[in-house]
Order: sequence, then C-alpha cells, then structure tokens
Amino acid sequence: MNNYTVDILTPAKIVAKDVPAESLLVPTVKGEINVLQDHTHVISKLETGIITVFGGPEDPDRFFSVTTGTCKVLDNKVTILAATSEESKEIDVERAKLALKRAEEKLYQSDGMDDDEILKYQRKVDRARLRLQLVSYHG
Amino acid sequence: MANIKDLKSKIKSTKGTLKITQAMKLVSAAKLNKAQHAIQNARPYANELELTIKTVSALCEEYSHEYLVEKPENKKTLLLVLSANKGLCGGYNSQLAKKVKTFLNETDLEIEVSYIGKKVRDLVKKQAKEKTFYTFAKTDPSFLDMKKVADELSEAFLSGEYGRILVAHNIFHSAINFEPTVKQVLPMALDNKEKEALKEQFPFDFKYDPDPKQILDTLIPEAYTSSLWTAQLDSIAAEHGSRMTAMDSAVGNCKDAIRSMTIKMNKLRQAAITTELIEVVSGAESLKG
Repeated sequence: MNNYTVDILTPAKIVAKDVPAESLLVPTVKGEINVLQDHTHVISKLETGIITVFGGPEDPDRFFSVTTGTCKVLDNKVTILAATSEESKEIDVERAKLALKRAEEKLYQSDGMDDDEILKYQRKVDRARLRLQLVSYHG
Repeated sequence: MANIKDLKSKIKSTKGTLKITQAMKLVSAAKLNKAQHAIQNARPYANELELTIKTVSALCEEYSHEYLVEKPENKKTLLLVLSANKGLCGGYNSQLAKKVKTFLNETDLEIEVSYIGKKVRDLVKKQAKEKTFYTFAKTDPSFLDMKKVADELSEAFLSGEYGRILVAHNIFHSAINFEPTVKQVLPMALDNKEKEALKEQFPFDFKYDPDPKQILDTLIPEAYTSSLWTAQLDSIAAEHGSRMTAMDSAVGNCKDAIRSMTIKMNKLRQAAITTELIEVVSGAESLKG
C-alpha cells in the first residue's frame, strides 16, 4: 500500500513526478525527518542531503540528492522544491570526482579569495561529495 | 509586360529565398523544441513555489517581507522589456511593442525602461526614458545572467529608487500562439480575496520547521528570481515559435510565387512559339503565291 506520491521539482528540471512512496526520509535544517503514513501537514526547509523514497513492497526504493529547498507534505502528496536535485542512477561518477578534485584544489589555494568565492567552492565540494556518497551507498 | 528572361531570373531568386526560409524554419523548429522543453520544465516549479508562498503568507498573519511592501506614493517605475535581438519572427516584436506603447500612454506612473533584446528597444526608445540596455555574452541570457539582472532590479526597488518593477514580455502558449503582457514583479501582489480563498481551503495550519517567517524569507527572493527567469524562458520559446510559424508561411508564399511565375513564363514561351510558327507558315503561304 502506497501512502504518498512524491514530486521533486527544480527550476531547471522536473526530477521526479508522481513517484509512489510508502514512506520517505527527508533532510531538513533541523535534522532528518521520516514521513510515514498519516503524517501531519508540514512545510519545512531542506538541508543539502539525500532524500530516500521507500517504495514499499510494490515499488522500488529511489534515492535523490538535494541542495537547499523546501518540502511540503499535504494529505497524500509530498512536494519538494529544490535548487538542484539528481537521482542516484543519473549521477556521472567521473564528472563528480573531477569536480571535487578541481574545487578542492581551488580551496587549497584560497589565499586572496573573497568570502563569496570561498563559499562558492565550498558548496561545490559539498555537492560533489554528496553525489559520490549517494552513488557509493545506492549506486 | 515582363519578358521571359526577367521571369526566369525572378524565379531563380525566389528559389534562393525559399531555401533560406526553409532553413530558418528548420533551425527555429529545433530551437523551439529546446526552449519549449525548458519552459515546460520550469513552470511546475514556479507555480508550486508561488502557491506555497501564497498559502504560507495567507495562513501566517502579520508577516511582511521587504519585497511585499507596497509603495503607492512613489510613482517612479522601472519596466523591463524582454524581446528578441533578431527580426523575421512575425508579429513577435511588433505586438509586444504595441502593448508596451499602449501601456506607456495609458499609465500615470513615471516610467523608465530597461531592455533585454534590441528589437522592441528600437521601436519604443523615443517614447520613454531608457535606464539600461542589457546584453549578454551569448544571445540568450543564462540563469546566472538573469539572476544578476534580477538582483540589480531588486536593489533599485529596495533602495527606494523605484516604487515598483514591471516586466513586459510575450507568454508562450503554443508554437502559433503567444500573448504579450505587462505584469508587476515587485512588490509581489497578494490580494486579499485570494488570501481568503486559501484560508478557506486550508482550515488547518501546517507544522513549520523552522518557523514560517524564516521559510518565507528564503522563498520570496527565490520566487522573485524564478518569476523573471520563467518570463525570459517564455519569451524565448515564444520567439522561436513565432519565427517558425512566420517562416512556415513564408515558405508557402515562396512556393506559390514560384508556381504562378512558372505558369506565366510557360504561357509567354508558348505564345512566342505560336507567333513564330504563324510567321513561318504565313511566309511559306505568301511564297506559294
């Protein structure tokens, strides 16, 4: 029995539409929450992390990376609005490794960079690490 | 009356035009496909974001964000016009220019205009004071380019330089249908009727994590940028759609012109042959005596 349908939307792409789910694990700013059957209505802010969609006995489990956004649980519908999001099977490992290496190198030579730039590369490192982590767990 | 030689060269040049219009049509079709994909992927996000903001702000009393504050006493307004850099796309630029002109004539606001895309700028620039003309490294601005523009505009709004920010662009409906509009992006209007309707629709409140004010604080700037970005995507898709339709009818017209000119040329040739034949026959007749 599936309790929810999940939509994951980003400005560039509809990452997932009407994915059936029995329950979900969602990373919010206050820690990970588990959305089970008959969950109360929630709107919460998301942290960079992994969204796990448990499909139950009938449907496959699916895993998505997200970077900042919001999550809305309303009746039997979960809507996730994220800045970027990718499903585990879509991730290009080589590219993520390369991006991580490049961003880390930039950070090693960060003398003279302003805070914004450091933050930008820090985020790049976070995203690349998240992708690699996601693939190594569920690839 | 045109002679055969003139018609021949005319047919040849029309065939050249036909080739160009056909190629432009194909190119536009490919670009339209891409642009349509982009706008169709971006719309659900933008709509959902807007709905979430409306719901949360309707349910959450006494919330105010600096993007929501109306400034009725400040008549200075900035209008951003999104148009194409190239012509040959049917009524795309002229219809938008017409819409902008009527708007400028009817409004009592003090308007300055910024442009993306030079075509409407050429048509409107005499009528209004120009603020900035944005150009980008590529023909179409990327998300980051658009974000920079959005930040610049919001800064001008927050500093009080302008009382409101408007955007004029074409909304993409389908390849043959678009609609020129002028809409307000800042301050974001949340009218009370809609608020009441939403309150009825949601008799319960959500559980917020963290509190709703913080959520709105992050969502509202996001929605503002997203509204400009979708406007830009809309106008790109509408441009390619409109150009494709225009080129499609141009191809049809070229083919018609070639057909009618060929018939005319053949008739002339036939007439010339007939005349020559008659001359030969009557010459022979007269020799017989």
